[in-house]
Amino acid sequence: MNATPVIQCRGVTVAYGRDVVLDRIDLTVPRGALLPFVGPNGAGKTTLLKACLGLIPHQGGEILCDFGGLPPAYVPQQKQIDPIYPVSVRDLVRMGLYPEIRCWGRFNCGRNARVARILTRFGLEEHQHKHFGELSGGLRQKALLARAVVTQASVLVLDEPTAGLDATSEADLLNLIRSLHEDEGKTVLWVHHRLDQCVALARQVCLVDKRGVRLTDCLEVAS
Amino acid sequence: MSLIGDALSFAKLFPEAVICGTVMAAVCSAFGVFVVLKRVVFISIALSEAATCGLALALVYHFSPLAGSALVTGAVVFMLTLPEKRQHLPKDVVLGTVFLLASSASVLLVAQSGFGLEEIKAMLYGDLIVSSPRDRWVLLLTGLPSLAVLLLFLRPVLYAFLDREAACVMGVRCWFWEGLFFFLLGLVVSGASKSGGALLVFCLLVVVPATALLLARRLWAVIGISVALGVLTTWAGLLAAYRADLPANPTIIGLACLTLMGVALIRATAAKFIARRN
Repeated sequence: MNATPVIQCRGVTVAYGRDVVLDRIDLTVPRGALLPFVGPNGAGKTTLLKACLGLIPHQGGEILCDFGGLPPAYVPQQKQIDPIYPVSVRDLVRMGLYPEIRCWGRFNCGRNARVARILTRFGLEEHQHKHFGELSGGLRQKALLARAVVTQASVLVLDEPTAGLDATSEADLLNLIRSLHEDEGKTVLWVHHRLDQCVALARQVCLVDKRGVRLTDCLEVAS
Repeated sequence: MSLIGDALSFAKLFPEAVICGTVMAAVCSAFGVFVVLKRVVFISIALSEAATCGLALALVYHFSPLAGSALVTGAVVFMLTLPEKRQHLPKDVVLGTVFLLASSASVLLVAQSGFGLEEIKAMLYGDLIVSSPRDRWVLLLTGLPSLAVLLLFLRPVLYAFLDREAACVMGVRCWFWEGLFFFLLGLVVSGASKSGGALLVFCLLVVVPATALLLARRLWAVIGISVALGVLTTWAGLLAAYRADLPANPTIIGLACLTLMGVALIRATAAKFIARRN
């Protein structure tokens, strides 16, 4: 098994104009980790993950990523997607096949079967023909997660996947995240706010605050 | 005289108006779906006005109207595709300023040139009836290839618009597809502005696709309905204008707006009725 870290940040600095959000941080994310990024608002959790994905430029240091051949799958916050788009849940999940099919590739039987399997697994089968905008917050987030999983990427990056969800939907989604890690061995990195939930799910947590970025054992944080 | 008889005699008398109107309606209504979805309605009116300004420039300095409108529209498109970080003002303010500057420059250019109010009116409101064979070729050569490119690359354009960050991570070159879309939109608006005028082009880019979005639930259906509605509204407007001796372009715009209002009203009533039954 490839033991190289998924992400290695060495002295990384990220700034928005003059506002330095991350200042010379070091971080190594091991392959196969289930790693929540926790910290106060504005500490730079999302910024750090986006910089690692290449969505935000970094001003200093270096970021080395090894996502294992396939691009990582990114799950944004559900509010990022405008519900006005005439896109069904199935269409949205099929978007995850873009790295394979590019501009003109066809959704053949095998790919459609894969999409159907994932829709069933995420409990979206009966909603697959619904408009994305018609779904509840929990189902929208599940659809976005399903899109990420259909890519077959070994690394999933989720930005506050439980934001705005009720307690049941939140627990449901966190269980799905855990099963993706435990059953399929995926590396899952996600931004989260509740440390108590992270302790129940993961062994380590990445704390992001004014003191910097560090990996800490969950039990240590809990105690 | 019968409606069909009128339609046939109109088509015989003004074949260029029918061809130009059909091509313009089909192309602008298809592009407009993305204008409405991306919520860049203000961009389309700014581009329409920029194209009009380019036409005025061409009129005054005696060069090709297409070159004039493409030049000014291209400059605006370039400015809009610059990364947000390099624009120190909110995009709405930039677009509003472009709109005002282009509108006033059009009027000032024509006023300085010694042309009359009629030329200004013709430029702002356009007139499909007086479309020439040259206008037809300009529309065919700018509109149809642009539409073909949009439809060929519909998937990455849609993904870049729908969820930019996830698409970028998946390998969609978002900046390229967004830039290409706005370049093609600028080309379409430049080609259509002389016959259509700023108002009709804006109407076809916004009002018709908005109506289609109320009627369909899948992207291909929305594009198809938008194109069909645009073409049918243009034909109906041309015919109504011919029969009632009205200016063609405002008649088409009026019909398109009434259709949108009618469809929105029917949908709202139907939704209330369904909610009450449940």
